[in-house]
Amino acid sequence: MKKNLISFRILLLFVACTFAFQAFAQEIQVSGKVSDAKDGSSLPGATVQVKGTTIGMLTDLDGKFSVKVKPGSVLSFSFIGYDPQEVTITNQTTLNIALLQSSTTLEQVVVIGYGTVKKTDATGSISVTSSKDFNKGAITSPQDLLVGKSAGVVITNSGGAPGSGATIRVRGGSSLNASNDPLIIIDGVPIDNNNVSGSSNFLSFVNPNDIETFTVLKDASATAIYGSRASNGVILITTKKGSVGAMKITYDGNTSVANAIKYLDVYSGDQMRDIAYSNKALYSPETYNLLGSQNTNWQKEIYRTAISQDHNLSVSGAAKNMPYRVSVGYTDQNGILKNTDMQRTTASLSLDPTFFKKDLKVSINVKGMHTNQNYGETGAIGSAINMDPTQVVKDNGVLYDGYYQWANYGASLGTPNPVEQLMAADNKSVVQRVIANAQFNYKFRFLPDLKANLNLATDYAKSDGHNNRPITSPSVITNPYWGKINDYTGKNYNNLLDFYLNYVKEFGVNKVDLTAGYSWQHFKREGNSRTTGFFRTGQTQQVDKTAFITENYLVSFFGRLNYTLLDRYLVTFTLRDDGSSRFSKDNRWGLFPSAAFAWKLKEESFLKDVKAVSDLKLRLGWGVTGQQDIGNDYPAQALYVQSSIGSYYMIGGENIPTLRPDPYDPNIKWEQTTTQNIGLDFGFADNRISGSFDLYKRVTDDLLNQIAIPSGSNFSNTLTTNVGSLENTGAELSLNLVPISKQDMYLSFGFNVGYNKNEITKLLVSDDPNFIGILYGDGMTGTKQVTRVGYPARAFFVNQQVYDANGNPLEGLYVDLSGQGGTVNGDNADKYIYHNPAPDYLLGLSARFTYKNFDFSASSRASIGNYVYNQVAASASYDQMYQIGYWKNMPTYLDDTKFVKRQFTSDYFVENASFFKLDNLSAGYKFENIYKKLNARVSFTVQNVLTVTKYKGLDPEVSDGIDNNFYPRPRTFMLGVSFSY
Amino acid sequence: MNKILIIAGFFLSTLMISSCVKDLDVTPLDKNKILSGNLNDDPAYLQQALGKVYASFIIAGQGGGYSDDITASDNNFFTTTRALWNLQEITTDEAICAWGDVGIADLNTQTWSPQNPFLTALYQRLSLSVTYANEFIRNTEGNNDPKVVQYNAEARFLRALAYTYGMDLFGNPPFTTEKDQVGNFFPKQLDENMVEGRKKLFNYITTELRNIENKLGAPKFSYPQADQAACWMLLARVYLNAEVYTGTEKYDSVIIYTNKVLSSNKYSLATNYRQNFSADNDATRNPEMIFSWNLDGVYTQGYVGTTFIIESSSDARYIRAEDFHGLTSNTNWNGNRARKQFMYTMLGDTVAVYGNNPIPWTVDTLFKQSPDKRIYCKVKKNVDIPSASSSGDYGIGIYKFTAKNADGSKAANYNTAFASTDFPIFRLADAYLMRAEAKFRKNDKAGAVADINVIRERAFGNTSGNITEGQLTADFILAERGREFYYEAHRRTDLVRFGKFTDGGYNWAWKGGVFNGTNTNKKLNVFPIPGDEISSNPNIKQNPGY
Repeated sequence: MKKNLISFRILLLFVACTFAFQAFAQEIQVSGKVSDAKDGSSLPGATVQVKGTTIGMLTDLDGKFSVKVKPGSVLSFSFIGYDPQEVTITNQTTLNIALLQSSTTLEQVVVIGYGTVKKTDATGSISVTSSKDFNKGAITSPQDLLVGKSAGVVITNSGGAPGSGATIRVRGGSSLNASNDPLIIIDGVPIDNNNVSGSSNFLSFVNPNDIETFTVLKDASATAIYGSRASNGVILITTKKGSVGAMKITYDGNTSVANAIKYLDVYSGDQMRDIAYSNKALYSPETYNLLGSQNTNWQKEIYRTAISQDHNLSVSGAAKNMPYRVSVGYTDQNGILKNTDMQRTTASLSLDPTFFKKDLKVSINVKGMHTNQNYGETGAIGSAINMDPTQVVKDNGVLYDGYYQWANYGASLGTPNPVEQLMAADNKSVVQRVIANAQFNYKFRFLPDLKANLNLATDYAKSDGHNNRPITSPSVITNPYWGKINDYTGKNYNNLLDFYLNYVKEFGVNKVDLTAGYSWQHFKREGNSRTTGFFRTGQTQQVDKTAFITENYLVSFFGRLNYTLLDRYLVTFTLRDDGSSRFSKDNRWGLFPSAAFAWKLKEESFLKDVKAVSDLKLRLGWGVTGQQDIGNDYPAQALYVQSSIGSYYMIGGENIPTLRPDPYDPNIKWEQTTTQNIGLDFGFADNRISGSFDLYKRVTDDLLNQIAIPSGSNFSNTLTTNVGSLENTGAELSLNLVPISKQDMYLSFGFNVGYNKNEITKLLVSDDPNFIGILYGDGMTGTKQVTRVGYPARAFFVNQQVYDANGNPLEGLYVDLSGQGGTVNGDNADKYIYHNPAPDYLLGLSARFTYKNFDFSASSRASIGNYVYNQVAASASYDQMYQIGYWKNMPTYLDDTKFVKRQFTSDYFVENASFFKLDNLSAGYKFENIYKKLNARVSFTVQNVLTVTKYKGLDPEVSDGIDNNFYPRPRTFMLGVSFSY
Repeated sequence: MNKILIIAGFFLSTLMISSCVKDLDVTPLDKNKILSGNLNDDPAYLQQALGKVYASFIIAGQGGGYSDDITASDNNFFTTTRALWNLQEITTDEAICAWGDVGIADLNTQTWSPQNPFLTALYQRLSLSVTYANEFIRNTEGNNDPKVVQYNAEARFLRALAYTYGMDLFGNPPFTTEKDQVGNFFPKQLDENMVEGRKKLFNYITTELRNIENKLGAPKFSYPQADQAACWMLLARVYLNAEVYTGTEKYDSVIIYTNKVLSSNKYSLATNYRQNFSADNDATRNPEMIFSWNLDGVYTQGYVGTTFIIESSSDARYIRAEDFHGLTSNTNWNGNRARKQFMYTMLGDTVAVYGNNPIPWTVDTLFKQSPDKRIYCKVKKNVDIPSASSSGDYGIGIYKFTAKNADGSKAANYNTAFASTDFPIFRLADAYLMRAEAKFRKNDKAGAVADINVIRERAFGNTSGNITEGQLTADFILAERGREFYYEAHRRTDLVRFGKFTDGGYNWAWKGGVFNGTNTNKKLNVFPIPGDEISSNPNIKQNPGY
């Protein structure tokens, strides 16, 4: 096997090289102009391409072009928003082309792994979202542009904190313990999804204003060329580039105002006192003197109206035919939680020079970012719910900067004053990152069908942050110290070299497009953190010091063959041979093949002349992908780890560090996901109705799974090893409707729906039918989730609540499902599986309307069948109201349950969190030619407009299904202005 | 020109590819990570690897951002000391815990299932200590350096200690030695039958301990490392419970090994009983300490061991942290306290003096009123605990452990959060009381009384508490062990040995889940094998009745 792999690699190289020794034909110069068929206006920036090659150019400002082609080849002319045209060159040297405006933009070129393909020729399940369809508003994270726009892509941002990240899931997760993040590739550079410490969003270095398209590769036939990183889909981000033509200057700016939508209902001071005084059985009257006389709304005290602004300036054009684009952006975002904000400056440069009579095309992209992030203290969100409302915000005591604090009154474990907690926190970081790459595309003069492509890239991120508290601010967080200094730094390095050869040739009705290449990528991360605590006396003591440094390499060989017959039958084969340094020599290499077939039914004689059908294509795909991102870079090596101070032991009369052997699995290897996909792309009525429908099944085997292992067999009670299987099956539908497309009026709707079902099919080496599953939870709040064979991952695992005649839950009374008697409450034997956090259906609906200079757009989403465990409600009980020496507020959910003790394992708290969200509404007006070519647009956008849900918590959109007081997503009103010249 | 470029490119890329494929051979960049093959490179490494076998019994892991030794939902809850303490104490009359965490109530009321997280964690931690020891023994086998030979014997002692707890609590744990390589395999029990497996393990432990007896360091050679006295104490403890483990008593052997300890003349009882539970309880300062799990406010810390005992029994209302134990931060967890029966059966003589509220207390004179100076107790709101999970304000507060020195002064390496008080495993008092019990069983009542009175004279400060042969009964010995060792994680083992843990007619509040307590099923004398283990290892047989 090993020998075969080596031969395979040599073969790839050999094939690539033999292409280089072929003959070439005489070329002629063709020039002309591209214009709009309707009004005859010239179309600058239209694509002129020699079909089947990547030879081509963009038309200049006057719509003119000039290109060298071989007689017999086909020139294709395309422009976004127009139907493309193709002309076979015989001997004409002048060619004027009039393009017809199309109702859709299906005929675009989409980027795929190591190359591009015409959307109509794509054989895989690919969805493209371009800038005009992006979500509008004060958006600082690239992920937010795509929310709800692509079927089967779920993006859940982690809350309303400035610059916060988001989790992206393509067609559900294919892993349990390994990463479920898709591979993200920006302008050809696969990036590391690991954040540098101090950064909350690994994509924040990309200014959303610089992004041109998101291309989501969903099925394995499209993703398998990325092999071991492709199991969770691939998202290719393309940024804007310069184009031939006059210099264009654009400015986009906005100011936004954000507010908390609502606060969680908690008791007022008066209500607290009522509850306390009327429950002498629960609360001893001697504790009443601890109650204050206030009615403080602590949530109101920690939130604010936040005003933010965003400015972007870009200059693009061509200098001596070298397209360029330069942009700078500045974002100043303030969070609705006091003392949280972010200032970010981004800059990007893209240059596309050509050399050697355009035989060598170079594309250079540099993106830089500098972010100052103030994280504040989000722990205050929970404290504001629990802080006693009968107390004042400030009692002007000596300590804690005059803020009221329970610790001043003898309860050191009392709820920290949320305002003090928030305002005293000094949790800031500075993150800088630069990504630069240069792509060299060389066309061999003697064989123009063959091109060599070299991509060199580097990605470097650096952070410097601290989490400090002043000595005046002792807190449960920093016990036993009075204040602390915590400094940390982090560095991430990622270097890439890709090299591939691409050969495209048409032989009569056959067309072959062959790609073979090699890729090398190195990831290195390091970081350290040091904490010093202050004693009350001012003395300091080092509390903690940690450091890490880790790296991994990926070396890969890949090939792809696209074969097209009669421009109707398309076949794609890909093969990737991936080597990862994470695994042992014997398991290091993995082969990931894929095959796809597409049939353009529209091109068949029986449909060709059917006017009603404008496009119809059937796609079949199969492929194997892998997952190697398991968090640990050395899982197969036997290692000893030295302990840090505090975990020493006394040997030979001295306190010395200890050396621990770490658990390892010498046989650990890739996860393998096999995907099958059937898809149909369609367009009707001149593409006024268009879309695609996909059915898929993904089976992951050799799941990297952290399982309980037999005691005594390894150096822990759990081990991450390849065991288990899971399946995702689903369907996706995307629809684009254009009811109106007139000269000055345009209306379109975009609709997508995705259905996904996740099921675990195997979890253990041995098939123990009594195996309860992998449990999630903690000692404090109980085990509430389980991953078990036959059910979706992380299903809720709870006791079945018993209700009284009026439908109220009876405290601590659950159905004895095991029938064994004894303690039912919390006993896993008596729990059952009750719903799960993943939605069954996800819908996205957006609309765009333009009338003359007015434009209007809306985006909304719905999620159906997702359940959330409302831990905020489950934490409310009467016995929690008075704690050791202090009073604690509760959410008013307690009025419904009237629980004296908390009942964490009751199914009562698992709530249907299906929702409909109107994410944004935007209206704009365009002023044209205000001064010469100066155009302007003003717009008004509301984000997070409306949420319809039965869920009783603040926000039903919770990742992983446990609602635990996260930073609330604000409602934002934004006024935007843009100028272009 | 182009052809040359291409040929050059071809060679260049072949070169590049072969060198880049070599990049896949990585070793850790982190200097704190050492490849296991390099363990013999530095003599300090072996010392540190041995340190880990010890540390695995008391703290959670390596600290500093590295994961804990075992994966559990809470890093402190599920350490050996805390889980062991819970299984040995809150299942008995000595303690009950107020916390609502999963698994606590089941232990309070003897209604546990194989899913109980505490018994699961303890089972896994003890096995892990065995696995660490196996690895160390394997790595040092054949090394003739006298120091290493002694380290090797210490690891074997620690392995035997872990197996002893395993045998006592779980009957028949999986059995591995240094001959079992680490990987993905299914260890077996010594016998599929629990009773037989336990017997075989008993034989293995006693043989192993006798084999290493002379390879270990002399008593007190280097505290807190295990020495010959620790080995003798462990042998005595195993033999004392021999009838439970094998059906056959071995009291003669108990006398042999306690004699070795007592006649070594290296130990004496601490004048102040409380020094054993204070920051200066280490053998360097405390003549009574034989073996402990070491803790230090700076070097070996965590909410584990004695810190846990102190804080979980401390409360803001009845005895404030500042007043007696010195751990002022993150304090007063108000969880553990004793049940009513602890007072009436064990502290009967004290109760006789003081009536129903036997231990009057004021801040100024902590605990001074009891003539038995081992009593650090205070009746809380009510001696009756209204429900199995009611707050820590009910029952009898126990304040025996402290993070201060015995004389009330500040400890060396003092830390406001973490005690430097070592977790006692064997102290000399146990040698006396084990010998007394063995002599009593051998009908040497005079010998037994003599040993017991040594303990009582220290407790009362004079002979006023001495007993006579007429007063000596099995129940008295059990109660005396309670008075001497309460909160030291002995109680369950003692009750089982005296037949009083489950169905022996001795019941305490909330035993079996009822207010006055009730007899429980005999099977509970041994804990079940955890469900996690049954699921992951098809070779393991569950204990009878579960």
